[in-house]
Amino acid sequence: MYRVQEEVSLLRASLQGDTGAWGEIINRYKDAVFGLCLGFMRNRADAEDVSHDAFIRAYVNLRRYDLERRFSTWLFTIAANLCRNQLRYRKNHPSTEQPLQIRGGTDPAQLVGAEDRQARIREALNKLPYSYRAPLVLRFYNELPYQEISEVLAIPEGTVKTRIHRGKAMLRDLFAEGA
Amino acid sequence: MKHDELDNLLRDTLKADVAASKSCILGMEDRVIMQLGERSPRLRWSQWLAQLAAPTRGVRLGQIAVVGATAAIFLFIGLALANRILPGNNSPGLSLQPVRSADGNQEVLFVMPALDAESVAVVGSFNAWEGTALSDLDGDGIWTASIPLSPGRYEYAFIIDGRWWGQDPLADDYIQSFGEYSSVRYIGRGGDGA
Amino acid sequence: MNLRKTRVFWTFTLLLLLPILGVSAQISLMDYEQGLYSIPVSNPDFILFTIELGMTQADFPAEPLLRLIDRLASHPGAVFEKDGILIILAHALEDGLPIEGLVGKALEGLARNVSLQQIEQGLSQLLILLAETRDLFYSKGIFNAPAGAPQAVPTAIPTLRFNQLLIHVSGTIGDFLESGGSPFEGHLLYQGMHNRLTMLQGITLLPEDVELVLDRIEPSDLTQVALVAVR
Repeated sequence: MYRVQEEVSLLRASLQGDTGAWGEIINRYKDAVFGLCLGFMRNRADAEDVSHDAFIRAYVNLRRYDLERRFSTWLFTIAANLCRNQLRYRKNHPSTEQPLQIRGGTDPAQLVGAEDRQARIREALNKLPYSYRAPLVLRFYNELPYQEISEVLAIPEGTVKTRIHRGKAMLRDLFAEGA
Repeated sequence: MKHDELDNLLRDTLKADVAASKSCILGMEDRVIMQLGERSPRLRWSQWLAQLAAPTRGVRLGQIAVVGATAAIFLFIGLALANRILPGNNSPGLSLQPVRSADGNQEVLFVMPALDAESVAVVGSFNAWEGTALSDLDGDGIWTASIPLSPGRYEYAFIIDGRWWGQDPLADDYIQSFGEYSSVRYIGRGGDGA
Repeated sequence: MNLRKTRVFWTFTLLLLLPILGVSAQISLMDYEQGLYSIPVSNPDFILFTIELGMTQADFPAEPLLRLIDRLASHPGAVFEKDGILIILAHALEDGLPIEGLVGKALEGLARNVSLQQIEQGLSQLLILLAETRDLFYSKGIFNAPAGAPQAVPTAIPTLRFNQLLIHVSGTIGDFLESGGSPFEGHLLYQGMHNRLTMLQGITLLPEDVELVLDRIEPSDLTQVALVAVR
């Protein structure tokens, strides 16, 4: 509770124009927001741009944030919506940046054990459609409960569960294919 | 692959991807703060000025001066307004939290700073463009009205002493209708619907 | 109390209760008829027929339409121009298109003191956008299922929800064109549509409806619709 109370103080200070307080908020949430964006967008440059944008937009619209609501949900919703916009844009303007791959361009044949398994899951995630990938990222990276995922993505909780179940099944198939 | 195995692998991979991208996250707060430092508030100043400069029928010099003075001191009033809008204090200021009535309607606050104005009204798709009067009871130049609206999208503009003012700084968006600006608000979201 | 006094008592009670029961609050076809005759329009029968058609729909904007007719009646402009505006609404109703946006646009124009001719031009463009957007939806397999009718297609959406999507997509294109945007900027049209629909998602639009539209409609589709409207 102390941490939440402290966060409310930082948010109030930010509302009054204290950018230092907002800097502290960013510090606390940047890993979570960037991870969400990287999971959704699958490339670093876009993820960095969208994360940056999300913090700008959240600050500018802070007066519309309802202090009764959980701040993380609100912030993640902004980030998720921006990712969605950017992905739509990318459909017609593909990025020149490479999608997430095996680190350092290592020859796949040389990877063993855990690294190999991670590389294959990474490839599988790249191929997964957005609507299945997004709930998985929120569940397994951001570790949000179903209800919060439902709020962030604005889809019913039942749909969240179905997508996670199907998404995992698709990952399993893609993973096996990449063996 | 067992369920647990996949769950753990997913978790580990996603975390590893972020860990490998630390350079992207490093200093993010500084870059954001730096950009915010250059950034002016949500008003598009060029559009405010352009609207002021646009010719209107039969406008007397005095009215132009009033509108110009209002725009010029808006920042000052905006800051005063920001203090009043801050939630959680006990002063009878403006509440930011939406008040919802039993029938799902939300009390929506319309605010227009208009020093020395004699009448301010808001017209929009919620009142068949017929006009709801705002009031400035304490005479500080800030006119307000609270209107119950059901969730949805609304277009509107203000009429200050007979002159239409289409760009509400508190609006979510702006459109052009019949060659003039209108403001747009979305009612029903708790947070930012970006 | 004797029988006569009882009757009087209940008659008075009923009369007092009538406003509460809201009996007088319903707008009837006669109200529209009165308004049309006071303009007077050249073809009241046709317009009344289409209004009667429209009144069967749950999202029929009964009061705003009546206000529009009343305001046109007291407007100093030419009768044939008022006629023109109402005929556009009648055609929309006849075609089964939602008139909420059209009525709102006309009311706004009157409030802004814009010429009736300009209002008619604006409505004309909006009507084309509504019709073309509906055709676009159909071509993409997005259909409306009238209440009570068997669902021919799995993706058929109940008419009320379909109409909301129609109003907002066509409205986005209309706003964009009015602010000077080019029909060829399909990606900007798409961005505008995306923003508007996602802002309303969970408020007046169902997320699955929004998703259906965003998945199936492409920027180039919106360009085609916009081009028809500016032809």
